[in-house]
Amino acid sequence: MCMNRKALTRTESILAVLLVVAIIAGAVGWTQPGQRIVETVTSTVTVGGSAQTITTTRVVTSTVTVERPISPGAIKIAVVSDIGGRGDLSFNDMAFKGGDEAEKDLGVQMVELISKTEADYVPNLETAARDPDVKLIVGVGFLLSEALLEVAAKYPDKNFAGIDTFTQALAVQKTGKPLPNMLDIVYEEHKGSAMVGALGCLLAAHYNELGGNYPYIGGVFGIEIPVLWKFEIGYKWGCDWGLKWYEQRFGKRAPLIGEDGRYGSGPNWRDGLYCPQAGQCWYKGRVLWTYTGTFSDITKGYAAAKSMYEQQAIAVYNIAGPLGLGINQAVQEIATEKRLTSGPPYWIGVDANQDWINPGFVIASMMKRVDRGVYYAALLTVIGKFKEVVADTNGVLVLGIGTKVGNLAMEGISVSTLADLDEFIKMGVDAEKLTGKKVLPMSPEEIRQKVTEMRQNLPSWIWDALTELESKIRSGQAQVPMVLTKEEVDRWRELLG
Amino acid sequence: MLAVAVGLVGGAALMAVYGYDFVKAYRALFLGAFGDFSGFLETLAFATPLIMTGLTFAIGMRSGLFNIGAEGQMYMGAIGAVFVGGMLNLPPIIHLIFATVFGMLAGAIWSLPAALLKISRGVHEVVSTIMLNWIAFWLVTYLITYHVADPARAERAVPAQETARYLVIGASLTTVFILVIAFSLIAYFLLWRTTLGYELRVVGHNQEAARYAGINISKTMMTSFFLGGLAAGLAGVSQVLGRPPHWTVFATMGNLINIGFEGIGVALVGRNHPIGIIFASIFYGGLLHGGRFMEFEAGVASEIVRAINGIIILALAIPAALDLVKKIFPRKNRGETG
Repeated sequence: MCMNRKALTRTESILAVLLVVAIIAGAVGWTQPGQRIVETVTSTVTVGGSAQTITTTRVVTSTVTVERPISPGAIKIAVVSDIGGRGDLSFNDMAFKGGDEAEKDLGVQMVELISKTEADYVPNLETAARDPDVKLIVGVGFLLSEALLEVAAKYPDKNFAGIDTFTQALAVQKTGKPLPNMLDIVYEEHKGSAMVGALGCLLAAHYNELGGNYPYIGGVFGIEIPVLWKFEIGYKWGCDWGLKWYEQRFGKRAPLIGEDGRYGSGPNWRDGLYCPQAGQCWYKGRVLWTYTGTFSDITKGYAAAKSMYEQQAIAVYNIAGPLGLGINQAVQEIATEKRLTSGPPYWIGVDANQDWINPGFVIASMMKRVDRGVYYAALLTVIGKFKEVVADTNGVLVLGIGTKVGNLAMEGISVSTLADLDEFIKMGVDAEKLTGKKVLPMSPEEIRQKVTEMRQNLPSWIWDALTELESKIRSGQAQVPMVLTKEEVDRWRELLG
Repeated sequence: MLAVAVGLVGGAALMAVYGYDFVKAYRALFLGAFGDFSGFLETLAFATPLIMTGLTFAIGMRSGLFNIGAEGQMYMGAIGAVFVGGMLNLPPIIHLIFATVFGMLAGAIWSLPAALLKISRGVHEVVSTIMLNWIAFWLVTYLITYHVADPARAERAVPAQETARYLVIGASLTTVFILVIAFSLIAYFLLWRTTLGYELRVVGHNQEAARYAGINISKTMMTSFFLGGLAAGLAGVSQVLGRPPHWTVFATMGNLINIGFEGIGVALVGRNHPIGIIFASIFYGGLLHGGRFMEFEAGVASEIVRAINGIIILALAIPAALDLVKKIFPRKNRGETG
């Protein structure tokens, strides 16, 4: 009891002292940062032979760094990742790759901040914004939208960009007008999806010509959110476009996938085509599609893809990030069982160039160039056009096929080619160094060789078709539907299945 | 103090091995976390939930229970806050109070199965609380995905409405911090100034003696679990109603995960004392917030930052952890505890 009483008084006296300290601190004005003493440090730094005098005003209580490198490279850009972090071989790694390229080409310096939890977004962005040398802060991923709104509003003299974010929509909702220093960078995924959709269905046509039995292509999706509708309808529309192209080019329907009766019958069906209105027919039902409801459960990707390949889908499009590894597993099983060294079956990659993950079995990837987004934001900052572009675009920069800012072509969507394979193999090599784990399935030379072989084995007309679609999208002759609402997606599903 | 030094030297050694400038890194860490006002507020924001989950563990220890269920109880507190704060429409202040109380009760109720199993069947609370943590994790994930998902944003639950949010003081800190401090002080006075608290501590010191003295052990254990559950529930509430800019829980639980377990470390550093825990939490919050400055200014890789934080906390927690081991495996009579 005695002991207890002693412990009691000690704690309570500590508490009392703290209370007094708190009151004094409050009275002195600790809560008013404006009243703190400010000191001026003048320093001379010599760079490249010429002397520059800079004056920095700093608050005494924070770091007083006297020596700062003053050179054209003094512009810093900060890249703040979402919780995926480094080593995802996709979204975040691509963003850092864009920063690396900006370092090389534009002479800026990139600083990285990895977010460990959602609670890190705001402090990470703010830490970067408070550094006087940082002129641009890029948040990677739509999860940072709210955090960017908060921090961008607080630091109006800094440039902010977000990949896939909708910060300006939030800003308009909240204050009625977009922020002058914030650029949401979004992508035309529907156009890229149309390209790989066309590729998939033409692939089926080609292998059916050779006697194959491939009536479908497939798509494995994540959670059903509006962004994914863009991919879904774009993909289906692309398949329809591809089969119609085949009809024109060869004067006949594509074997099996173009003419079979299995896709539907009834009043509006004519020889395997769905014609709701006279003169307007669609290749309905050629795409098998599943929303798995997850962006992380790889086994669900495997299960969905497996049943598609069992129904003889020639290629399955991965629109669920890491679930692609599940799709790959399903393909690999078939390959091992039938001792194949190359597809079919194939799968189609997304976001990054994923062709190297299983060379010979990934026909192509729909690339969303997150790296370009970061690079363009850095470029606009360096040439001093950032705010101008924000004003011209209402703060939303769309990167896609044939997109431009002023006279500058700024594109961000493409189908993977052999030329950009090397960049992404390098990303795999870097990830191996970083994690110490094996990432690449074989040596870079072997990957290159297998992918080249796979592509050369296809007839050139398939690639001609893709080139034609791309140029038609560019010129506006081909309008890929961009679906964002429930009504639209229902309408297109009615037409395309 | 020795423990602090050991932790810092350990972290410095790690940085030296990887070739980082550890003086610069530590400087960035401490100035970032405590060097200016908004940095300090951010540190407090990171400390807020830890104070509560630390308290959950400490109240358990004080009454002789190894209650590691704060994690699950915190999830329940958060989802409780989402239900009332996000799904219901109520007038301003009432909404906030109702959402807070509901969340805290949700946390407390989640602690009861462990309490009942302990009292009626003698199931050890380590086993039951760990299991309940996982049940809570998947239950809350399910609820967020299928029942309280934000219609516009499938990756998270409905955010708390404006009427159910604590006021922002600055940075990410809100007035929920004041409530958390008040709760700690109440817990302190309850433990050391009331009969109930006295009984609780006697049970913690020596159950047999307590029984002999006529203390109702079942009731005391129940109380201990319930109080701990309230604290953990408030930790969850604070992340929903008191943490900008999201004001909600993500389906991945990314903004909640581990807060309960970090509370154990915090409680050990704070010697299982409500006031000690406040300071330990602020220290830990400083590491969490200041860590990014090590990354930003000294270029230390984020994984290394986490390792350094771990080393420091480990060094600080070891003395208390040793006490704990002595308590669980008593070899000789101990004189007194802090």
